[in-house]
Amino acid sequence: MNSMAGMGNTTQPPVPTVIDRPAQASAKLTEKVLVRNLSFYYGSNKALKAVNVPLYDRKVTAFIGPSGCGKSTLLRILNRIYDLYPNQRAEGEVLLDGKNILNPGQDLNLLRARIGMVFQKPTPFPMSIHENIAFGVRLFENLPRAEIEERVQSALRRAAIWDEVKDKLHANGLSLSGGQQQRLCIARTIAVKPEVILLDEPCSALDPISTAKIEELIDELKDDYTIAIVTHNMQQAARVSDYTAFMYLGELVEFDNTSKMFTTPADRRTQDYITGRFG
Amino acid sequence: MDLYARRRFRNRIVLGLSICATGIGLGWLVLILGTLVYQGLSGLSLAVFTEMTPPPGSDGGLLNPIVGSLMLTVLAIAIGTPIGIMAGTYMAEYGKYAKLTMVVRFINDILLSAPSIVVGLFIYEILVAPMGHFSGWAGAVALAVIVIPVVVRTTEDMLSLVPTELREAATALGMPRFHVIGHVSYRAARAGIITGVLLAVARISGETAPLLFTALNNQFFSADLNGPISSLPVVIFQFALSPYADWQKLAWIGALIITFAVLALSITARALTASRKSS
Repeated sequence: MNSMAGMGNTTQPPVPTVIDRPAQASAKLTEKVLVRNLSFYYGSNKALKAVNVPLYDRKVTAFIGPSGCGKSTLLRILNRIYDLYPNQRAEGEVLLDGKNILNPGQDLNLLRARIGMVFQKPTPFPMSIHENIAFGVRLFENLPRAEIEERVQSALRRAAIWDEVKDKLHANGLSLSGGQQQRLCIARTIAVKPEVILLDEPCSALDPISTAKIEELIDELKDDYTIAIVTHNMQQAARVSDYTAFMYLGELVEFDNTSKMFTTPADRRTQDYITGRFG
Repeated sequence: MDLYARRRFRNRIVLGLSICATGIGLGWLVLILGTLVYQGLSGLSLAVFTEMTPPPGSDGGLLNPIVGSLMLTVLAIAIGTPIGIMAGTYMAEYGKYAKLTMVVRFINDILLSAPSIVVGLFIYEILVAPMGHFSGWAGAVALAVIVIPVVVRTTEDMLSLVPTELREAATALGMPRFHVIGHVSYRAARAGIITGVLLAVARISGETAPLLFTALNNQFFSADLNGPISSLPVVIFQFALSPYADWQKLAWIGALIITFAVLALSITARALTASRKSS
């Protein structure tokens, strides 16, 4: 890995250190989530074809690929949100800490408490900023008032939105700007203390400044959480992720650490997509 | 002339027609209100609200039909609203993809446009005839049968307008289904559902036909739901058709009261929804 980086980037000293990071860590990489031979059907339409991919513990994994390639579908399997709809079905295995979450006996609410999700469109609940976060906390824990306040505050701080909302915690969540709403949604997700966070194009509806804030946030959150992010923005994938998976037509074409994917992808299709030849 | 001028000309014609149509529509409304006020206002006095319906030729008021109408309306709403909201909730939330929903929606639409006199006859057959006498209960149930389809329809429509993303976001937080519905969907659709109930109130407060065979009428004050009970629409119907000038006058006053009560209700509903949106 190092030799590869050395060959490709001899004129850029900082790059090898970036590449070193996952390489050094690889000794203690554990698979928080392991997707094995996963296929997914919308009715009779096969949207995922035998996908295998890991999400490493406390790493950011980016999923890239053209529209309709199955990235969001994959994410929606990981917390089984697809269960809301009839005629959608998954085959294969998704192991969370070694346990298959596709088992029929899986408690979905507990699963979703462990695997949080942030959507493309900001979705604050129609209640106050404070309630937006406290509500989720109260679902799973019976905490005294003071502790709830503390959780709300720390979640808002973590999501880098505290300073903007601390004086109006009782204002409606919908009164915030799009970028603030999205950070509120992230705060709401981390307040429940999940282990994995799924981000489905979290910045696609946001302006560049809000996007930068969210990317910074992702960088901080990965110290504590395993993160999967779907994005259409290749630069974003390169900036925020440790690992990248390229998907195309329902297949996982390539998975590797991000710097390798963006410098010397193994598959022709990955290369074409990354260099903008299609997609 | 040229294409652009022709389009402008056509636009003017359509605009003119639209304004005419609006004027005609509003004109009738103003005429109705004007006639009501002209005919009814002169007779409006405190006695209308404190005295019973009189025999022809003597003074009196509308106390018994006002109280009767209030009782019947409140009772009908109390019976119809929970059933309507729960059925609408099933259709928009739990049974969104169920065959049963389509059947219920179809039947509900028929019920929505069913002639109200048929409802009256139906209740006569199943309640009045077996009980052996006319009663307030039968009247309230007949009105409730009219309330239910209105509430079902608006509840389903309003819940369907709640964005799917919001439901998914709540589910992704690990909320159980009934929490998602109770705390997120209902909250988001609250203004619309309340409007639906008020619409139902407006609809039944003027209904005469379903009461003719059920609650009948009562010349004296009665709050006994087990016996015939007076109501404004039936009194208006009876008094307006009578040859006595003083009865006809009271009919106008009654019509004025109903109209303004419904108007006040609509304005309240508007104000409620508006203030909720801004908060």
